[in-house]
Formats: sequence, C-alpha cells, structure tokens
Amino acid sequence: MANYYVKAVPSTDLNKNTEWFTYPGVWTTYILILFFSWLLILSIFGCTPGMAWTIINLSHFVVTYHFFHWMKGTPFADDQGIYNRLTWWEQIDSGKQLTRNRKFLTVVPVVLYLIASHTTDYQHPMLFLNTLAVIVLVVAKFPNMHKVRIFGINGDQ
Amino acid sequence: MIAVPYLTALTTYFSYGLLFVFGQIRDLFRKIPGCCRSTNLQGYAPICFGNEDFYTRRLYLRIQDCFERPISSAPDAWFDVVERYSNDNNKTLKRTTKITKCLNLGSYNYLGFAASDEYCTPRVIESLKKFSPSNCSARADGGTTTLHNELEKSIANFIRKPAAIVFGMGYVTNSAILPVLIGKGGLIISDSLNHNSIVNGARGSGATIRVFLHNTPSHLEEVLREQIVEGQPRTHRPWKKIIVIVEGIYSMEGELCKLPEIIAISKKYKAYTYLDEAHSIGAVGKTGRGVCELLGVDPADVDILMGTFTKSFGSCGGYIAGSQELIQYLKYTCPAHLYATSISPPAAEQIISAIKVILGEDGSTRGAKKLAQIRENSNFFRSELQKMGFEVLGDHDSPVMPIMLYNPAKIPAFSRGCLEQNVAVVTVAFPATPLLLARARICISASHSKEDLIKGLEVISQVGDLVGIKYFPAEPNKPQLDEKTVKLD
Repeated sequence: MANYYVKAVPSTDLNKNTEWFTYPGVWTTYILILFFSWLLILSIFGCTPGMAWTIINLSHFVVTYHFFHWMKGTPFADDQGIYNRLTWWEQIDSGKQLTRNRKFLTVVPVVLYLIASHTTDYQHPMLFLNTLAVIVLVVAKFPNMHKVRIFGINGDQ
Repeated sequence: MIAVPYLTALTTYFSYGLLFVFGQIRDLFRKIPGCCRSTNLQGYAPICFGNEDFYTRRLYLRIQDCFERPISSAPDAWFDVVERYSNDNNKTLKRTTKITKCLNLGSYNYLGFAASDEYCTPRVIESLKKFSPSNCSARADGGTTTLHNELEKSIANFIRKPAAIVFGMGYVTNSAILPVLIGKGGLIISDSLNHNSIVNGARGSGATIRVFLHNTPSHLEEVLREQIVEGQPRTHRPWKKIIVIVEGIYSMEGELCKLPEIIAISKKYKAYTYLDEAHSIGAVGKTGRGVCELLGVDPADVDILMGTFTKSFGSCGGYIAGSQELIQYLKYTCPAHLYATSISPPAAEQIISAIKVILGEDGSTRGAKKLAQIRENSNFFRSELQKMGFEVLGDHDSPVMPIMLYNPAKIPAFSRGCLEQNVAVVTVAFPATPLLLARARICISASHSKEDLIKGLEVISQVGDLVGIKYFPAEPNKPQLDEKTVKLD
C-alpha cells in the first residue's frame, strides 16, 4: 500500500481520556472493527448474514452503552477526579454538543440498525431487540440528556 | 506537524483497543471471584476510586521493565544499568547485582556536567566540606548562605535580567510560583503541550485556564481576543491579569517555541509572558543563554524567565529571573522560598562553577567547545537518523530528538532491543504523549564523542529495521564525486 500520510495536530483537549478521539483514523478504525467482527462471527457460528448483523448490533449496544454511557471518570489518577461524575459521552469535546464526532457516533448505531433489520427481513424477535437497542443508544446521545440521570440510575452516591 | 502513515494509525488504534479489551476481561475475572484479596478492612473507602488505576495495572505494568531502570554510576556518556528480572510477568521486578555498561541516550546531560568535571567537582567537594550537604532550613530562616546570594547574582547575570531567585527543586519552581503570581480572576493561557508542573501550578492557582494550539501564534491571538472580550466567567468583568505560558524547547517534541511572534502578540494585548526554559537554558544559543539568544529576542521583553538547573548545569533546582520588584515580591510571598528547604550548598556551587565554565570565566575555552560540540552532535545525529528513514521530530539545533514509534507493541520492542545491544533509550507512551504518538526520546550530550554517536546510530538502525519504524523512505547514499572531474568544453 502506498504510504499515505495524515497530519496529526495536537488538540487543545486536556482530558487524556477523550483526546485520542480527535486524531485522524479513529472513525475508520471503528468501522473496520465492526466489519471484521461481522466476518469473524460469520466464520465462527456459520449463521446467516442477518443473524450475524443482529449479533453485532446487540453486542455493539452492550459494549458502547457500558463504555460510553455507564462508566464514569477516567482510567488515570492524574486528573485528580475532575471528571468522576461524567460519563465518556459527556466528556468528549469538553462537553460541547453536536460536534462532528458526536454526530458520527450517533449515526453509527442507526446505520447498524438499518443493516441488521434489512438483512433479517424485518422478522421478529430480531426486529424488536434491534429497535430497542437503537432507541436506547440514540436517546442516550441526545444533547438534552447531557448530565441527566433518569430515576437516579448511575447517579452519584 | 507529525505525518502519521494512515495504516499505522489504524493498527495503533486497533492495538490499543485490543489491549483495552483484554484489560477489561482480566478486570472482570478479578471482580467475579473476589476471593484472591479478602480485605478485613470493613467500612474503609478504597484507595483507588473506580477505574483510576486501570491504565497502570493493565497497560503500564506489562512493559514495566522499560521504565524506571536503575543505574549505578553517574549519567555520563556511558553509564552502568542494573539488570532486573521478573518471576511474575513484570508485575514485580527484582534487581540483580549485575550491571551492563550502556551508551546513555536518555539523560538530560546537554553540556556533559552530569559526570565528574575537572573544574566543577573539586570546588563542589570543597564547598561540601565547608558548608555541609544541606542547610536543613528554609531560605527565610537560616538557609541563605553566601553561596545562595552568589548563585542568584550569577544566574541573573547569565540570563541578562536584573534579579533572580532560586529554589531547591525544578518542578516546585513552576507549581509554587504560579499560584503566587496569579489567582482567581486572572487568566492563564498555556500551550497545549506544556509540562505537568505548569499544569499543576496553573490548576493550583485558581485562575481560569485556557489552552491554545501548540506553537500556533495565530490561535493564541484568537484565544486572547475572545477571552479579553468575554472577560471573567459569569460576571464578564475584565480580567485582573493575563499570563501566557510557553516553553523554550518542548521536551516531548524537541521543537523550539515561536518566541518572537508570541511575544509580539502578548505585547499587543498587554498580557504577561512566562517562558519556561528548562530544556533550552545552557543548551542552545551561541553562548548558551537559551531560546532568547537563539531566536534574537531581548530578555527584557519576556516578563518572567524560568528554568531548571537539572539539565545543562548538572545539578538540581530551578530559578525565576525577572525584574527587581518581581523577585522582591516573590521573596516575601512564595511558599517554596519561605518554607521549603533551600538548595543544597554543593549543588549551588556546581551551578556557579558550571556557569563560569560556560562563560569562559574559568580561564579556558571548554565552555565554548561544549556548546559547539552539542550543536554539532545534535545536527549530525538528527540528519543521519532522517537519512535512514526514521521519523524524527524537533528543530535544527535542538538536542532533544524524539523518534516516532506509534504502535504500543513497538515501545517495549525498541526499548528492549536497544538495551540488548547496550544502548539505553527512553521511550514515552500514553498518557505522557497523545495516544497515537508514542515515541523514543533521544537526548544528545556534549560528552558524546563521534564514535559513540556512530555506534548509537548503528544500533538504532538495526533495531529500527527489526521493529519496523522506518516510516519515511530512506535517502539513498549519494555516489562519491570524483576528485578530478573531466571538464568537457
């Protein structure tokens, strides 16, 4: 592959937990990981492509919900707990809403949902599970949900 | 501007993702049984909250043998590295008594004062006998000796500022001075890649902090204009004072700061400037006076000049140089001056003697030779590395040269590979650098001879080929021109 270089400009984000998301190549890596896991699941389970996409959609839901919207704080002690009350989604782009990164991350579950429901021919029970996943993920990413804890779930002690 | 090969960026993210996933799986297994560590401390809060220590436990400890290597000699051009082994996969490391002599490409020994010096060391030993290793007192109590006064005068003279104040520790110089200079209602604008000591000092001061894109004077101007117009948060009153903090040489990039433009912009908007010359004082500039001399900026234009004695002077401690009023004010208010133990007298004598050598006041030309040597060494090493195809950052004349590694697996591979061939390098990864941009940082010293540098280049080239970090195409060797070229008319 011809050596194609991209410029890495250091960003002004001081939060080491989210700063890595501003560099080039992250979006492509995300999409490639999803695509290669689909291939992996197809080869391991030998199921239909539709089932594989549904499995990807649901595991994507579980993983991204846990890491983006459930876990709070950062994996380092250096920042002395400034972000201990914020989930990763609330930390990125220093809390600014509707940036390019956030829009991209909101579109991905929707596209996955469309692919999963199309390839399973909109059958139940897959359709129900997929719809539930996409609704939860998209609602969690609304700007109005910034720092909102419904019924105190995942609130601070 | 760092040019990352796209495929390398993708594989780096994927590798970190994989490491993260495995770390989380291991954490899951750690939580579920819960049997391995039964603590009988009921009701006590855990030491680490949540996932704070995830990075340390799951990523750093795996390659712990590449960091914190103990040495058992002075950090000269060649030094002795103590060998360590581990029985539990790098979770704990045990020292052996075996040592290996390695080429030192990691110490901040820019002018070669780190080892025994023919002018400085006898004087240091004399002052040790006269004054004792420590004053055991703060400057304000009983810790000011004639050496301290002489040192302050000497460093103020060297920097070409009216007065200076010295502290026992370089990190503390930044983190204890900034809270004294500025408080709530002030604005600190700092470069995005500033050192942790500046970040800590700024956070401790209580002032509002804004960051501008690294070394981009146009963005600094934008941030200044926006902030001056908006004023303090919520009340929108004018700021009490604005300080712009930049570094002379950025230790992770080896880049010089664009000082003339930044000073011009700060003067235009009436902001104070604070220049941290930790890596540049004594190492760059024709007579070693730092970035101001190299870039042609009058030291009187920079309001506060800060530096450390650990890099080029072979000692410990830091200094602040500024106007008489500023230094007098700091002597009354700075907690590091009032309460912290003063700089050790032999260390102070080492600095005084080192400054004398650099200025040529010891009667020889060793100082000028050292400065020329480090410039030559740095330029030679950097150009050779670039010819081999490595991606090396840093400006011309800068003695710090990071070699980009990117992938997390290449960090321990490069470090261990070089150590096997008796070259000691320092590798830096996330979170000291951005996630994508892990690097090996080489620091050149005036005490490196040409043979040392050539051996270093050979080893790095070999290990680089094995690890695969020659991201740029290597320049082919230019054919030797004949002595006598036939002229065709």
